[in-house]
Amino acid sequence: MNFIKRGFLGITRKKGKSLILLAVIFILGSLISGAISIQQATSNVEKSVKERLGAAATLELDWEEYDKLSEEEMMNVELENIGLDLIKQVGELSYVKYYDYSVSTWLGSESIEAYRGDMEEDFVHHGPSMDFMIKGINYAPVLDFEEQKGKLVDGRVFTQEEVDSGTSVAIISKKLAEKNNLQVGDTFTLANAVYTYDEETGEEEIATSRDLVLEVIGLFESQTIKEDVGADSDSGMIDWMDMDYQNTVYVPNEIVISENKFQYEEYLKTDEEYAEAMEGEEEASFEYYTPMFVLNSPEDSEAFEEEVLPLLPEFYKVVSATDQYDSIAGPMESMSKLSKYVLIAAVIATVLITGLVVLLFLRDRKRELGIYLSLGESRGRVVGQILIEVMVVALIGITLSLFSGNFIASQVSDTLMKADNNNSNEDVIYYSELQIDLTTEDVMDTYEVSLNSNYILVFYGIGLLTILISTVIPLVYIVRLNPKKILM
Amino acid sequence: MILEAKDLNYYYQDGEQRRYILKDTSVSFEKGKFYTILGQSGSGKTTLLSLLSALDSPHSGEVLFNDEDIKKIGYEKYRRNNIGIIFQNYNLIPTFTAVENVLIPMSITENEIPEDTKSVAYNLLDYIGIVKSKADRPVNKLSGGEQQRVAIARALATNVELILADEPTGNLDEEMEQEIIDIFKKLAHEHGKCVIVVTHSNEIALQSDQAFLLKKGVLASYE
Ligand SMILES: Nc1ncnc2c1ncn2[C@@H]1O[C@H](COP(=O)(O)OP(=O)(O)OP(=O)(O)O)[C@@H](O)[C@H]1O
Ligand SMILES: [Mg+2]
Repeated sequence: MNFIKRGFLGITRKKGKSLILLAVIFILGSLISGAISIQQATSNVEKSVKERLGAAATLELDWEEYDKLSEEEMMNVELENIGLDLIKQVGELSYVKYYDYSVSTWLGSESIEAYRGDMEEDFVHHGPSMDFMIKGINYAPVLDFEEQKGKLVDGRVFTQEEVDSGTSVAIISKKLAEKNNLQVGDTFTLANAVYTYDEETGEEEIATSRDLVLEVIGLFESQTIKEDVGADSDSGMIDWMDMDYQNTVYVPNEIVISENKFQYEEYLKTDEEYAEAMEGEEEASFEYYTPMFVLNSPEDSEAFEEEVLPLLPEFYKVVSATDQYDSIAGPMESMSKLSKYVLIAAVIATVLITGLVVLLFLRDRKRELGIYLSLGESRGRVVGQILIEVMVVALIGITLSLFSGNFIASQVSDTLMKADNNNSNEDVIYYSELQIDLTTEDVMDTYEVSLNSNYILVFYGIGLLTILISTVIPLVYIVRLNPKKILM
Repeated sequence: MILEAKDLNYYYQDGEQRRYILKDTSVSFEKGKFYTILGQSGSGKTTLLSLLSALDSPHSGEVLFNDEDIKKIGYEKYRRNNIGIIFQNYNLIPTFTAVENVLIPMSITENEIPEDTKSVAYNLLDYIGIVKSKADRPVNKLSGGEQQRVAIARALATNVELILADEPTGNLDEEMEQEIIDIFKKLAHEHGKCVIVVTHSNEIALQSDQAFLLKKGVLASYE
């Protein structure tokens, strides 16, 4: 009958009291554990979704702002371009890891065929085709590869010299290469055709065309296809996006500029009215660059935006990949707030209530403690015995509430998110260079109420400490009394 | 001399004044004898016993156990190894059975006790008059007399030579009282223990080997 055994016997012999204590700890523990679960889950979502969105940012015309103008105002507003100097200035900011700027165009070809995936039969050719997205780059290692949109699987990336001089070299997708039997070192030909519209027949005709011969220096594979996309309705959309990427041809910016210039000049020749209208205007610029900045971390987005905004011409805005998070994460925010309040309330209630319950629990044990002391038991062991009783019950209660709290958390989150999601589903998402196929659904999917070991440790720590303190303080007060005061 | 009190002083502070319960009280006890301490209610009998059993400490004076100051032995250690205490209201642990109550001090003491504690406890209870079927019952389901017997068995469980009891028969009828007193006599005379019983019953005092009377803080022999 040593103090350890007495402690355990105390639990089983006084089932009623042990159950009350267990119930109190369990209920309050569930609240705390539920609130902590939700907190952890929401902060994990923010982190992992932002990570998935990446740290890219670009500068775009803010169409929403522009659309607000009256027609008259629109006439008077002259939209400026984002110049190369500005892009370079922004690119030098400390938040930027690396950056690129790009011009692109679409070209067709007579000699190679575009990659169509499984949908070969669906394509019936009507008129001219412009199947290939020619994407100019300035950053020689190719930003898309660094950012894991694509991956170089054969050959090499550009050299800075090739980029600067506009050498006729290209990186194409492996699928496109396979379809057309191209290898690294081979050349292929694209056609830059200028069309005229015959008003009588209603048909487009090629006015003039020139060939663009490019040497394949590297092959890439797409990295963004979701593996779990099955037969559901969205997959068509994703296939289309992927197909565009498979038919992308990376070349130095200079190549695209030169092709655009050709097209413009030839077009002027075919359309006299337009040519007259343009007469006297400054020489047209072909450098409509789309910049792309990759920041050191998604967390830098806000600071980056703040610093860049004043540098931009009117009607331009900074678009960060993480902006998307804010537009779809509404439900998450409200949940995080709610759980914070519940947590604070639950912790206070727990400390007070367990303190009181333990105190009552001990009060009618006072005589018993005196008896042990009168039999010569040391104070430490008397305290130890009661601690065993309380702590074993607490441990069970906390362990149970760990799971129940988690369960409650996932139930509550489910309901809350569903309710919230219904209200905020009509977001209009403007097309953006950075658009990633990420929806509120995806955010919800990332949301996962789970038991991580850190959380478990913290929860046990807080729980046991609370109960330890509320037990030891009154206990020490009792055993310091001399036994006569308690017993006689 | 197994137990000796020397010049014990014990008082309560009553405003500015000290109200002495024990004033320079000295007394000594031998092994193999059954002692009683008489006195009116409020005379300080319980106070004296609590000092002799180290449940409280005197303001001055000392208690010697086998010529050693119990303060030096250590109060806890003294209670654990050298004495058995019996209270008027039994003070058993209500959630435990009779035999479990007897086992408790056996797990606390440092004295040599037989290995098979459980059968020792049953035998002890049987000797005091608690049969096995009652020994396995929670103590709050025993009668007062039975509970006091369990308390006596508990006091004897650690094999001590000194038994101190504060009005052990105060809650019992006369018949039960006599049975308990007979046990005390047996413990003193057959087992050589020193038994000190506080009581206000003359009957009991007459049966003891020596009786003391506590009056106005002073202890005197009672004839
Ligand atoms: N906490 C206290 N404060 C002041 N006086 C006290 C306190 N506790 C006890 N006393 C007084 O001490 C005196 C001795 O008390 P004690 O319990 O030793 O008497 P007793 O002889 O055992 O009486 P009884 O026969 O009724 O048990 C009493 O007069 C009592 O009123
Ligand atoms: Mg008394």
